[in-house]
Amino acid sequence: MVGLFVRLKLRLIRGNLHGDTVKQVGFVFTSLIALVCAVGGFALFSLLRLATDPGIALNIGIVAFTLFTLGWIFVPLLAFGLDETLDPSRLALFPLTTRQMAAGMLAASATGPWPLASLVALSGAVVGLAPGPVGVLIGVPAVLLQFALCLVASRAVTTALSASLRSRRGRDALAVGAVLLILLFQLPGVLANGGLTADPLAMLDAAGSVLRWAPPGMAAHALAYGGLAGLGELAVLAVAVAVLAWLWIAALRRALVTPDSSNQSGGAVRRSRLGGLLPQGMIGAVAAKELKYARREPRGRISWFMALVVSGVLMFSLRGPDGWHGPLFVIGPACMAAMIIGVQASNSFGIDGRSLWMNAVAFSTERDVRTDFAGRQLAVAIIAVPLLLVLSVGASIAAGEPLMSVPAMFTAWGVLGVGLGVGAVASVLVPYTLPERLNAFSGAAPGQGGEAFLGSMLGMVGVGVVALPVVLPPFFGLTWVSVLAVPYGLLAAWGGRRIGGMIGHNRLPEIVAAVSRPT
Amino acid sequence: MDEAKPEAVRTQGLVKRFGAQVAVAGVDLVVPRGSFAGLVGPNGAGKTTTLSMITGLLRPDTGLVEINGHNVWRDPVKVKSRIGVLPEGLRLFERLSGRELLLYNGELRGIPRAEVERRAAELLRVMDLVESQDKLVVDYSTGMRKKIGLAAALLHNPDVLFLDEPFEGVDPVSANTLVDVLQRYTSSGSTVVFSSHVMDLVERLCDWVSVMSRGSVVAQGPLDVIRNGRTLNEAFLDLVGVRGGGEEGLSWLGSSSV
Repeated sequence: MVGLFVRLKLRLIRGNLHGDTVKQVGFVFTSLIALVCAVGGFALFSLLRLATDPGIALNIGIVAFTLFTLGWIFVPLLAFGLDETLDPSRLALFPLTTRQMAAGMLAASATGPWPLASLVALSGAVVGLAPGPVGVLIGVPAVLLQFALCLVASRAVTTALSASLRSRRGRDALAVGAVLLILLFQLPGVLANGGLTADPLAMLDAAGSVLRWAPPGMAAHALAYGGLAGLGELAVLAVAVAVLAWLWIAALRRALVTPDSSNQSGGAVRRSRLGGLLPQGMIGAVAAKELKYARREPRGRISWFMALVVSGVLMFSLRGPDGWHGPLFVIGPACMAAMIIGVQASNSFGIDGRSLWMNAVAFSTERDVRTDFAGRQLAVAIIAVPLLLVLSVGASIAAGEPLMSVPAMFTAWGVLGVGLGVGAVASVLVPYTLPERLNAFSGAAPGQGGEAFLGSMLGMVGVGVVALPVVLPPFFGLTWVSVLAVPYGLLAAWGGRRIGGMIGHNRLPEIVAAVSRPT
Repeated sequence: MDEAKPEAVRTQGLVKRFGAQVAVAGVDLVVPRGSFAGLVGPNGAGKTTTLSMITGLLRPDTGLVEINGHNVWRDPVKVKSRIGVLPEGLRLFERLSGRELLLYNGELRGIPRAEVERRAAELLRVMDLVESQDKLVVDYSTGMRKKIGLAAALLHNPDVLFLDEPFEGVDPVSANTLVDVLQRYTSSGSTVVFSSHVMDLVERLCDWVSVMSRGSVVAQGPLDVIRNGRTLNEAFLDLVGVRGGGEEGLSWLGSSSV
């Protein structure tokens, strides 16, 4: 059974690559990265041997082992969703006992470039931490148990969540969760930058002394100290693996006989009254639809969230040892946020995707396409204008220069207008399909990575160049220039709409095809 | 109005290639006004590609498309407001509710909001979607999606309606609703063109049939002419040249061979 599942996994990997050069290149690339991670991880772990203080080495080992386990639990959930061998419902109809299935699925999840890379990297800890030849005797089982812990924990969590992962709401929640996790990883950097903790070593020590008592920490500790205590820790680790495995099998058993929840329908949405405030006709209809998508579509929610987070991170990162000073630190973050929002507009049709035909069959003139852009720009502005205002005021208060909020706000609004204008042109020149599911490696459908890259580059460079005349002077203290930024931005947005409408009307079928690729 | 040009749809030498593969190889399709027309053909015959080119969603390599005498690709203003489309694959704005989808469509086509709301409410009632009108389309079943798609295509009261596989995967109750609405629509003189695999349904509904095979129209005309005394299914199999014989092999299949 184990061999069968391993072969199934290998065949799935191969089948997925069959006849698709882009995927093949992607796989080779992924394998190379995995190799680099394996060798690098092994080398880094081995380097712990050189640490002057064995306590530090141990703490690093403990934290690394814990991060490994967390990574194994979360990365498959967030980045890759369920691969076929991870989804028990696909196997429910085969005449297999739960135990056969558990063994097989465990073997399948140990197959592939990333599991191998993890195992190689983890075994570096034997070199780096084990105190001597006897230590190796404890170290090898410790690493193997740690690896088993990663596999079982990852499987237990995916299986337990598999039912909800297959439902629409579950996937939506997960997509937003992915961003929160990325944010979480940013947190230490922001904190360290903010100087909240003076001593990274003290932080490491604190983390190590807590995590030491969790199973991964025990594995690292047993590796480093060995002896009877080490053996005891290994025993605890083995029990933890066994308990997790038992939980997993229980979840598996339940998942196999529970009906698929993907057919359960979601609840009703509230009818919004916002539509009454928007202008009647096509502009209002498009704007209302875009606003609903920003709220209801996880990809829409994420992009707005990202704009906020990146500018927030930037704000904190720019802070020097004695706080923020000067116009750059007030205007910079607001402009950055405006730029990110603008660049997102450089593939306006991407989020409509396969449903864009509905617009295409209704649009018969250049003016229709232009009006569509106007509606989209209106929707973005409705969210972004207050957002940038809050951001500018926040940054100026943090910098202790509240008056600076006015030029910052004006400049950011101007950049937003430029972003929307450039975005309209980029949207019709290099449209591409956004994948249904977020994916760690690519923001576009297979084969359209080039377009996606070109689109964002065009957006970024375009915004940068066009916005330069209104952004540069305030940065150097000529804050009065910001008065011109808003009319300049409006002009740029209008011009972008016109050019976008002109090109877009002629290319409508091609745009529909480009954003409707299968993902 | 245009009494001189009776055809609702006319194509001439429509060709579309995807790389080396010729999807549509010179289609001359004719559909008279007011007919309930069925476009039938095996998988890969080019039905979807043809319908996409007729409705302005896919640019033909060469060829002419006229709807009510107006060129689709040169005169889209005259054409697009007069056609309704339901493409294959149920591609709808997933994150709008059914009702919002109809309102969006109506306003996109420049119908005043009050009128759109009135029409949408009626369509939702006729399609039996009142209970789920505030649910997101992403949570709709196949039958519900086809119905809301048809409602969206009918909202602006088009002259010609193009439906790609409207009955595929639809439950009998929803199919019955779809048929009722379409029959009412054609009885007022409007034209429906729909593609289908289900011969019985085409035979029951249509008065005009076009048969496609390997990228071109192999026969078209009034249903009775095409049928020529046979069932439509027999006529279709003859036309597309199906080889018989599934007798050899599979000797192990069935209870008698145990």
